Amino acid sequence: MGRKIGKKLILLGMMMFLLSIAVFCLARQAPGDPLQSFYGDALERMADWEKEAARERLGLNDSISVQYARWLFRAFQGDLGLSLRYKMPVLDVIAPLIGNTLLLGTLAYLTVFALAVILACVCVLYEDRLLDRFICRLGTVFYYIPGFWLGVVLVLIFGVNLGWLPSSGAYDIGKQEDLANRIQHLILPLTVMVASHLWYYAYMIRNKLSEELQKDYVLFAKSKGCTCWETLWKHCLRNIAPAIVSLMAISVPHITGGTVVAESVFNYPGIGNMAVESAKYHDYNLLMADVLITGLVVFAGSFIAQAVNEVIDPRMRETGEIKW
Amino acid sequence: MVRKESPIPVLAIVILAGVVAGCLFAPLIANHNPAEFYLDSINRPPGKEYYFGTDLLGRDLFSIMFYGGRTSLGIGILSAAVMAAIGTVYGCISGTADDRLDAWMMRFAEFCGSIPSILLVLILTAIIPATDLIRMSVVLGITGWFSLARMVRSEVRQIRHSEYVLYARVTGGGFFYVMYRHLVPNCLPATMFAMISNVGGAIAMESTLSFLGLGLPLDQLSWGSMLSLANRALVMNTWWVIVIPGLFLVVTLLCITDIGNYIRKEMNRKCSK
Repeated sequence: MGRKIGKKLILLGMMMFLLSIAVFCLARQAPGDPLQSFYGDALERMADWEKEAARERLGLNDSISVQYARWLFRAFQGDLGLSLRYKMPVLDVIAPLIGNTLLLGTLAYLTVFALAVILACVCVLYEDRLLDRFICRLGTVFYYIPGFWLGVVLVLIFGVNLGWLPSSGAYDIGKQEDLANRIQHLILPLTVMVASHLWYYAYMIRNKLSEELQKDYVLFAKSKGCTCWETLWKHCLRNIAPAIVSLMAISVPHITGGTVVAESVFNYPGIGNMAVESAKYHDYNLLMADVLITGLVVFAGSFIAQAVNEVIDPRMRETGEIKW
Repeated sequence: MVRKESPIPVLAIVILAGVVAGCLFAPLIANHNPAEFYLDSINRPPGKEYYFGTDLLGRDLFSIMFYGGRTSLGIGILSAAVMAAIGTVYGCISGTADDRLDAWMMRFAEFCGSIPSILLVLILTAIIPATDLIRMSVVLGITGWFSLARMVRSEVRQIRHSEYVLYARVTGGGFFYVMYRHLVPNCLPATMFAMISNVGGAIAMESTLSFLGLGLPLDQLSWGSMLSLANRALVMNTWWVIVIPGLFLVVTLLCITDIGNYIRKEMNRKCSK
């Protein structure tokens, strides 16, 4: 077990290393002038020698491999560089936002799968009948509505016209500790996240369940007098639980991507929103840190889900590595 | 299990054909100049003069819809083509390579695929600003081929040792000849569905990016750049600027999905016969 965890950690480290190289090279190739975002309008008043000195001081003149090595060395000491836009260490910019994103992401993740299982059960109980078809149709429609548009429409209805819910931020100023206020601010982003991810997973679980219902033990359970609901709940769901967990493992990147859009639409202070902002303002240090942290969350999330899968389904352990 | 012939999605085809025709013949349909700012009629609600109303710059939404649709559909098709090209070539190389290279190539594709695609796009737009049709398509194409490559590879894997492929290679057919003559035609039925849904995915991604301010600027008419005014429209509560382009977008996406699903079902049915 210890060796297994070690192996996973090494793999995780390698993935992060690759990701950091890729992101670093891309960020340094970018056309926008980092000096512009560091000094803003003041750049125009600077003399050439001042610009040159600034480049030298920020280390922008060295070759890219030197810059990367320097960056990596500092990264291990917990220094991911200065945000060129906020003039603060990037970690200080990002740190307060991580919790917000994790809260939104985790809530969405759990809600999506809880609802997906329930919806799948309802669909299977009424398979090929009107209710099932209606849910399938509605689900497809919601899945293909772009998340940002759904968000804007919800704000238009509930924020602007009805005035029931706040349309941006994570809390009103000065009400950071007020739980009710935070929940109010979470409702709309959460709705968007759930609406745009739910159906994909519900549909997969539905199909798995309907396959499971063809099996012999279901007939046996019915003949011994179990109700449909009991058969589903006690037998079928248990049998497809590993499939659901591995679905949860591969869904982490998908749902993390969703937080980026949901946060940007609702101007929710999270790392997804910050990634979009920093891409807009050519703030590469911030963008890199942001992508790396998101990458870490995604990879770690997938590994954890895989591990859980192995614990509840011993068959997974024997196959070991993924077979291509 | 008996597979029924699924009904042809007539409604989806008709609506999609209507949208495509409208975009192709945009100059005939549009009743205003899409690039003109009608400054005396800013934020007009839908009415007789401006069928879909005007936005806060005084542009006629009805006319932009069809001119912008050209860009949006163009981006969808072009990005899907880029994805198909990269994904197919990558998948064919990986599928015909020896096990070691194959494993590494697939691992790379899986690694890239496990990063949320919106983040990949964000990083890439730092180098290639997606400010026109071609660049946007390239950015979306480069970041969207991973799952297609895996599909192609698993198809190629099944047929790479079949006699006709061996024959073609023995008689001196080069890699690209074999790919073009044998591998691609064989994996097309299985991947057709993915290629079509890529068109829809690219259109949705374009509008998302433009909305976030990382895509097409306002003067490049597209459904996405129309929706990039949505945030300001919220402040002025002009619902038509938000709802009408969005409905066009959603209806088009749904039609593409319907047609893609139909093709998938038909292919499954034919394969299982």
